[in-house]
Amino acid sequence: MEINLSIKKGQRIRAYYLFFVIIGIQIGVGFLSAPRYIFEKAHQDAWVSIIVAYLFMILVTKVMFVILSRYENTDIFGIQVHVFGKWFGTLLGIVYLLLFTSELLSLLLSYNEVVQVFIYPTMPSFVMPILLLILIVYSVLGGIRIVIGVVFLFVIMSPWFFPLLYDPITRMESAHFLPLFEASVVDLLKGAQTTSYSFFGLEILFIIYPFIDNKEKAKRPTYLGLTTSALIVLVTTIISIGYYSPNDFDLLDWPVVSLFKSVAFSFMERFDYFIIAEWMMVVIPTAILLMWAIVHGTERIFQVQQKVTLYVVAAVLLVLCTFINSIVDIQKVTDFVTTFGFWIIFVYPFVLLPLVLLKTKRKVSKEVRK
Amino acid sequence: MVTNIKFPLKVEQLETFIKSKFEHHSEDDLIFSVYTHRNKKIAVWGIKYLIDANRLDSALLAPLLDHKKAWKSSLLLNVIPVENGVISNDIDEMFEKLITGSVFIYIEGENEFVTYPLAQQEERSLDTSETESVIIGPQLSFTESLSTNLNVIRKILPTTDLVIEKLTVGKVVPREVRIIYMKSVANEADVNTIRQRIQEVDVDEIEDSSALKQYIEDSTLSLFPQFLLTELPAHLSYTVKEGKIGVLAENSPNAFIAPSTFFSFFETTEDTYLRWMQATAFRLLRIISIAIALFSTPLYVAIITYQYELVPTALLVSIGQSRSAVPFPPIIEALLIEMMIELLREAGARLPTKIGQTMGIVGGIVIGQAAVEAGLASNFLIIIVAASTLASFTTPNYLMGSSLRVIRFPMIVLAGVYGLIGVMFGICFLLIHLLRVTSLGRPYLSPLYPLRLQDFSQVFFNPPPNKKSERASMYRPKDQERFSKEDAMEKRDIEE
Repeated sequence: MEINLSIKKGQRIRAYYLFFVIIGIQIGVGFLSAPRYIFEKAHQDAWVSIIVAYLFMILVTKVMFVILSRYENTDIFGIQVHVFGKWFGTLLGIVYLLLFTSELLSLLLSYNEVVQVFIYPTMPSFVMPILLLILIVYSVLGGIRIVIGVVFLFVIMSPWFFPLLYDPITRMESAHFLPLFEASVVDLLKGAQTTSYSFFGLEILFIIYPFIDNKEKAKRPTYLGLTTSALIVLVTTIISIGYYSPNDFDLLDWPVVSLFKSVAFSFMERFDYFIIAEWMMVVIPTAILLMWAIVHGTERIFQVQQKVTLYVVAAVLLVLCTFINSIVDIQKVTDFVTTFGFWIIFVYPFVLLPLVLLKTKRKVSKEVRK
Repeated sequence: MVTNIKFPLKVEQLETFIKSKFEHHSEDDLIFSVYTHRNKKIAVWGIKYLIDANRLDSALLAPLLDHKKAWKSSLLLNVIPVENGVISNDIDEMFEKLITGSVFIYIEGENEFVTYPLAQQEERSLDTSETESVIIGPQLSFTESLSTNLNVIRKILPTTDLVIEKLTVGKVVPREVRIIYMKSVANEADVNTIRQRIQEVDVDEIEDSSALKQYIEDSTLSLFPQFLLTELPAHLSYTVKEGKIGVLAENSPNAFIAPSTFFSFFETTEDTYLRWMQATAFRLLRIISIAIALFSTPLYVAIITYQYELVPTALLVSIGQSRSAVPFPPIIEALLIEMMIELLREAGARLPTKIGQTMGIVGGIVIGQAAVEAGLASNFLIIIVAASTLASFTTPNYLMGSSLRVIRFPMIVLAGVYGLIGVMFGICFLLIHLLRVTSLGRPYLSPLYPLRLQDFSQVFFNPPPNKKSERASMYRPKDQERFSKEDAMEKRDIEE
């Protein structure tokens, strides 16, 4: 495998699309239930946890940029092969592919679950995955430019519902935030770790980096994207804490959806239904970026034709979605992804950094760098 | 039967030969006259209905027979006052020219004959546009005659910068095709692409430009037209000035324009003639109409079938009352009425204009009123269907409008099967599809993606003329500047 990638001009993307890529992949189904899980750990100080998680995430991104900048034009697969050698590097590449696949699986399962709970309780569990996979396959078939296009378009088209939150905001109770800073440091950190699930997707930077045309400008849109998605999580969590009483969080699986229940106009109410349907537009960018990463990664590691991987992975996911349909099983998958992802996305870069620095200092690797 | 002949020969031999080749055609159509002039036999032949008889008599026969000296072929070219005479002895070529309306003169004893193109062009006169109507601005539309169309275009754009290239398509029935672009503005790569695509069309015949367009479009599987078809010379010249490429074909009253983006189908030339504020408002209205045309009926079906909680109680009661007599599920009800509207539209398009109008009114009232009274549909649905139909007719381009109308049906079915989720799936699929379509290799959804903020003002709004100093960058014109911004906008102080 070549360490460095050479990307054709027609396949490169401008750096500012990273802003949309980061928001597109970070905001997914996990966001709908995020306030509940963070509240479970840190209670009314959940917002502090989010800020802690955000700062940590910025640190991780900085580390990722340092790692990537040590090479001319490569992704995580190339770096790992270079650092750990062919066999172990490939193995770690497969770990990344597994992470993407399990994230995608968890996404499909949890969106299906939301739809089943809120709208169609009796719908067979293969219908939603089929619909989503059709869209995913159709966009990934178009290549990187179309993938980025879909992400960009869907990200700018979805946030129309945020103004609707004015209604829950007017019903917020300031007493719900008191007493301030009651949670212990351990609780806050636990809360931060739970928050990290909402920030999954950061690792796409490791894959998409070689495709960026003007790399010197890549940092600002990335940090802006991270900040925006953190702000979205922070604001909805603060609204949730103020709007719901502490006991409500035990009953609500998706507090963000229920926030929209109270908005009513003379021609339309119950916007939670709209949000569930609209969430397809939020799920698709995440899903196609993950699918693209799987397909592109498999081609990098095993030189498999992209179309073959695409169809095989889609079929496997469909079968898995059909068989995993109890709430307990879905929870198991999500828990697995949360733990697995936390170590790979937020901890592993710190392990990789010293190794990369050591390896790229040596004489042998000079030619790889320049 | 004589299979071939050699010059020089007797006039009688020539006559037998030509008539033998013509045996399955009507004998009367072929004129073969033999005149004797200064003891030399001269044969003149051609096809009756293709020739301009007046010119044949006055410009060709009269000077031919009045001539004082003996004729020679070379002399004919100098004396006879008809342009484009050619001396030739190629018999195969003679037959080809015979059926396009040429007249031939053969002087007995000579080694060759002379050909004069005397075809009479039958064509309808220039008329106002039928399919793309404009309220203000030039009303003229193209006709079936290519030379007339080129004449009109040259008149609108009298500049040497305008290039009109000639190509021929069709092996059995050759048809002339013209590529029109501004040399200093149009993107060269695009011109080469379209020229190459037209040259690569390897078919026996093409019907006209709209058929040619389908041969060379980027994707035949897409529902959306990728090249813009227009019958307005004003529209063609307007887009050519923007750096796009127009294509005209013989026998075709339509030109097509490439590359075209999705949003360019919602621009009219009228936007340029209106004041910019009104033009902007109307263009935005047309763009909003896309959503109304596509999604209003599906949303009705989805909400009434599955998600009726979305509707507040007071409104739900009135919808419920109007639907109380309807025994069908909303999807059947909606498909029924949509189908009726489509029937009306199609019948209206096929019928003669006078009957069509009556039928439209009668059909509209009968279907609307009677369907509600008979309990086939609710009042509410009739209003929604009418709105969506109206919205689909605001699209200035007929092909795009019909695409939008066709897409509604799968949308309604999706809404009937999966409710709001189905509608959302349809929207997502449509958007992804639009992102994947290209026109001459350029992204269809430009300037939305790839994002070109500097083109937004020209695509979604219509800025005042003095602000339009630059051409839209998404077509990559060779020369992007229309006029210099500094010169056009002199800064003035408040007048004392």
